Amino acid sequence: MTTPGAPDIEGLLRQLGPQVLGALARRHGQFESCEDATQEALLAAAQQWPKQGVPDHPRGWLIAVATRRLIDEIRADRSRRAREDVTGEPGERYEPQPPQHDDTLTLLFLCCHPALTPASQIALTLRAVGGLTTAEIASAFLVPEATMAQRISRAKQTIKAGGMQFELPPPDQRAERLRAVRHVLYLIFNEGYTTTAGPDLQRVELAAEAIRLTRMLHRLLPADGEITGLLALMLLTHARRRARIGPGAALIPLADQDRSLWERQEIEQGLGLVEHALTTAAIGPYQIQAAIAAVHCEAPSAGQTDWPQIVALYTLLERIAPNPVFALNRVVAVAMANGPEAGLAALAVIENDERLAGHHRVEAVRAHMLELAGDRTGAAAAYRAAARLTTSLPERRYLEARAAGM
Amino acid sequence: MKYMLLIYDNAGIRELFSGPEGKALGEEIDALMAELTASGELAGGEALADPAQTRSIRPHDGAPVVTDGPLAEAKEHFGGYLIVDCESIERATEIALRWPNARFAAMEVRPIMNAGGGQDT
Repeated sequence: MTTPGAPDIEGLLRQLGPQVLGALARRHGQFESCEDATQEALLAAAQQWPKQGVPDHPRGWLIAVATRRLIDEIRADRSRRAREDVTGEPGERYEPQPPQHDDTLTLLFLCCHPALTPASQIALTLRAVGGLTTAEIASAFLVPEATMAQRISRAKQTIKAGGMQFELPPPDQRAERLRAVRHVLYLIFNEGYTTTAGPDLQRVELAAEAIRLTRMLHRLLPADGEITGLLALMLLTHARRRARIGPGAALIPLADQDRSLWERQEIEQGLGLVEHALTTAAIGPYQIQAAIAAVHCEAPSAGQTDWPQIVALYTLLERIAPNPVFALNRVVAVAMANGPEAGLAALAVIENDERLAGHHRVEAVRAHMLELAGDRTGAAAAYRAAARLTTSLPERRYLEARAAGM
Repeated sequence: MKYMLLIYDNAGIRELFSGPEGKALGEEIDALMAELTASGELAGGEALADPAQTRSIRPHDGAPVVTDGPLAEAKEHFGGYLIVDCESIERATEIALRWPNARFAAMEVRPIMNAGGGQDT
């Protein structure tokens, strides 16, 4: 035993959680019961370890406790036959084993299974792989705990009812399933990045959690250029967090940010990752988005941004991953590189895409270009239209202030 | 995204809910609530007391003034709300269309503002 009150038991538990769940699920199947048992073991550890000290083999301790809970549950709920499948295990000794990397990966694949809704994929990933409690996840998404508990339980029911097994997907489905995993991690990051209003100690920092999970996935599959690209994109975006929010939770656009507040260490890491991915792996959308973020991060000031380079990257991105929001971002880059008239002409080409209908960014982009072109009346009207369409309070305040300043 | 489903009603509609058809309407609501709970989309909701118990506050010469009762007799008034956290406004609208009150009085689906920062690029 180490000293009672040893530091960062929570961090240790969150690291061990997916390993314990993976070991249990691999051995016994029945993901939903294993997940409950693992949560109970983690809770027991969180209560006991600070007082009694961390056991010498914390992973083995957790697996043993979780297995006992699993068997108790099976004894209580299942037939005698089900019980016999695991009899004899309470007394079994668990030797410390090296972490089963494949287990964590298998767990991610299962939590991000395409049969689950995105909301369920996110909730289950944060709980089973991230080791967060239901209350923490609920508070991060600002929904009642009962709502989040329901999402997790529904996800587990879907897994059970669908007979989904705790095993790696067959090789021919691996690429598609990995795409789903990356997307879930991206959604978690985006939720954290776009909804966090300043420091809030009560809420789990979702962006940081997404980075932690993506880093873990990157360690498991270092040759996957899109995982590397996703991690780089997150780091290069997250690096701006202190500069993007001003006093009173005011939104500060990239062009006006104090770049000395950007986290250099994260930027250096992100730049290294993008460069590595682009030179060693097949190109993909996350790598290109990371490369665009890298161009911003490398510019000493907004005025020195290499906009032609950003236009070229967005053009490439649109070609390999057509998406109206990328197209809209490209319009901004065109306006910055070639002037507002060129930007407005590019906007006219895409603005009727029905996927952009009602999107406040269309009007915000138009407003910005009209302002650059010196059309203050037109810009004010477009800023007001954008303000009516956004659902972000800081963004609405920002757009209303721009409209008033015209 | 979170949406508020605003439910309007009036005395006539509440009578309908307490009359012979009321049981079936109540069961319809219970079933929909159970479905939204199970899907993890239900994030809150309340029903409001009769408008007779309202206290209205309105500015008068730059100061707030309190009066008993709703300000004006209306054919319909705000009777309660649901909060759903779902994929899109289309999904929220689909839920509103299935709420029984929608057959008798107005409902509105409105996005809930988010206190967070939005995009900086």
